[in-house]
This record gives sequence, structure tokens and C-alpha cells, in this order.
Amino acid sequence: MSDSFDLDGVPVSFEPGDTLMAAAERAGHAIPHLCWHPALGQSGACRLCTVRVDGRLTSACTTRAGAGQVVECRSADLDARRRMLVQLMFVEGNHFCPGCEKSGDCRLQDAGYAFGVTGPGFEEFYPHRPVDASHPDIWLDLNRCILCKLCVRASREVDGKGVFAIGGHGVHTHVLVDSATGLLGDSELAASDLAAHICPVGAILPKRRGFAVPVGARPADAREAPPDPEPSHE
Amino acid sequence: VTVAEVLAEAGAARTQAVQVGGPSGVCLAAHEFGRRIAFDDVPTAGAFMVFDETRDMFEVARGFSHFFAHESCGFCTPCRVGTELVRRRFDKLAQGHGSPFDQAELQALEDLLHGTTHCGLGASATNPLRDTLVRFPQAYASRVSSPHFVPGFDLDAELASARRVTGRDDRGAHLDQHG
Repeated sequence: MSDSFDLDGVPVSFEPGDTLMAAAERAGHAIPHLCWHPALGQSGACRLCTVRVDGRLTSACTTRAGAGQVVECRSADLDARRRMLVQLMFVEGNHFCPGCEKSGDCRLQDAGYAFGVTGPGFEEFYPHRPVDASHPDIWLDLNRCILCKLCVRASREVDGKGVFAIGGHGVHTHVLVDSATGLLGDSELAASDLAAHICPVGAILPKRRGFAVPVGARPADAREAPPDPEPSHE
Repeated sequence: VTVAEVLAEAGAARTQAVQVGGPSGVCLAAHEFGRRIAFDDVPTAGAFMVFDETRDMFEVARGFSHFFAHESCGFCTPCRVGTELVRRRFDKLAQGHGSPFDQAELQALEDLLHGTTHCGLGASATNPLRDTLVRFPQAYASRVSSPHFVPGFDLDAELASARRVTGRDDRGAHLDQHG
């Protein structure tokens, strides 16, 4: 029998070396996340998976599971932090859901609904981020980027290319493309790469695909609408 | 050794506050100068900043907020965006557009950054905010100009381009600022 930890009152068994996230997801328990992927190394960037382990706040995707740990995940105060983190991601970029092909199948949008985001909460930064349409098959629209680094890791770890990297610091942090011109069209990215499909938001999208799945039939439409959240100061 | 002893050795006079351990450290007010520089009480890596009574502790905290917004590496969401929002909120208060709403927002960001950031820089980035809010509330209160929310921009000034286009500058083309 393998060891187990307690996730919101439910025992979750784990293998040696597992993170809390890996063990929970394998067992079919959801811990909120945007930057974690089972096939890639952990990051710890989005912080949505912040849980309380034996009374201490930490990210589930970077914390090793230990026998007997008591992990608090979906408590009201932790979800309130998650709501604020999602708001921070929204105000940082330019997220216009109605005009985005990813709408209805977007992890950021899902998180917004899941944690009761009713408005930006803070002033939008409205950064200036030009769209890169140089690649024949792939759009790169960093207006929608949440800096989860999934594309960076997918390109390096699975595609074996290193097309994407992170540059800058602080609020000027941004995704870089490895090519002489800095344009995606001059990079090694192929449409079949994992990095071209892993974006949880609409920052990296295949070209010539619009409304392939009509609004009303997208993944989010199949789920029951969440209840209206309590009105807040937003 | 107590903070007061360090101040006496240094010849500091009329000291209002001491920042021990750099911007991420602890800010102490005069009534706490009996505390000891020690791992168990006031830990320090050697930094010891002294602010006398002529210094505005709000401006001190605002300076630190700029420092941390610049220092954030941008890796994790709460620090990357949170330090920038704290900086902007401090600047808004400094420009005289402050309200209790802004102060509550600073407090909410403070709560978020303690615990959700990837590393210690983010976790301690709002320490100056936290410490000065508790110890020098009057420095913040003087920045709160209205009990109601005040936008961070001048609504009437934003209409300047529309006035230019229409060639108008009469009273009707301006917002009634007291209405």
C-alpha cells in the first residue's frame, strides 16, 4: 500500500517523488492550475495551485507529497486569493474574450468563472503588444499571454527546439522567440509541435481556424453555468 | 544590542523610524527602539536605515514600492502584477487621488503577496507597506482626500482632445467638477 496525504478531507495516495499536484491529478482530484501540465516539468508561475499544507501556504505543483500531510485546497480564503490572482492576469494583458477564438475553451476564462471573477478589480494596464503573424500556420498574440511558460517548456522538453524563452523582468516580462529577427515565422516552430498547441489561453493559435466550433457548442458551453457570485465592490 | 543603543552610538537625533534589514526587513517606530537586534527579535543582515522626524514615512514606503516593482523578476503572477499595482496605488495616493478604497486595495494586495509568491522577494515586497500602515497611519490618512472613490485620472482633462476637435472651450464643454 502506498503512502497518502489528505486533500480537503479525501485521502490521496502518491508515489515517491510525486508532487501534490501530480498525485492529486492522477487520482482524479482537481487542484486549480494554469501553468502545470502532466507531460512537462513543473513551473510554479501562476500560483493558482497555492494550497495550505499543514498550515503553511505553498504551491501544490512544486511541493513534494509526504505521508500524512493535511492539504487544504478549496477553502474560501484560498479561492479568494485565486480570484485575485486571476484578476491580476486579466488586468496585466489585453483579454477581450468576445473577440477571441479561444473563448469557451480557455483556461483563464474557466478560472474566472470558477472563482467568481465579476470584473477586473484593478485598473487594466493595457500594454502595447503587437501581434506576430509572420508564421505561415500559427498566430502569436502576446496580448493574451499569461506567462505560464507552457510553450517554453513544451518546445524545449518535448519538441526539442527551444523556440520560446522568457525575457525582461517585472511587469515587462514577456515571451521571446528564438530567431534572428525575433519573429515566429523565422523560428523552427512547426504546426505539429506541442508548443504550438499547448497555450491555455489564446496567445498561440492555429491560423485559418475561426468558429470551427460554434459558440454554444464549445467546452465551456457544455458545463452548467456557475451560480451568480455575490456582488462585490467591483 | 538594542535599536536605541545603535542610534545613540551613531549620534542619531529626533529619530522617527528605523528600517532594519533593508526594504524587506522590519520598520520600527520610536516606541519599539528598546527591541534587540537579534535573530529572535529584529533580524538583520547589517542594513540599518534611520529616518528622522523630517521624513515622510508614506514617501519612504512609496520609494520602496518602486524598488520592488523594479526588482520583481516577473516569474510569478502575484509578484509580477502585484508589485506593479502596489506601486501604482502609492503613486495615486501621492498625486492626491486617494480614498479609503485605495487603502483597502493596498491591504488586499499585501495579504495576497504574503503566501502566494514563488520566492521571498515577493513575500516581503509589501513589508514596508504593512509596517508603515500600522505604525504611521497618519502619513496615509493625510493622502486620503475623499471618503468616496476618486479616479486615478482627471476626467475633465481627458476630454481635452474632444474639445480640440470640436473647437470648443466654453463652460458647457467642461465637466462640472462639483456636480
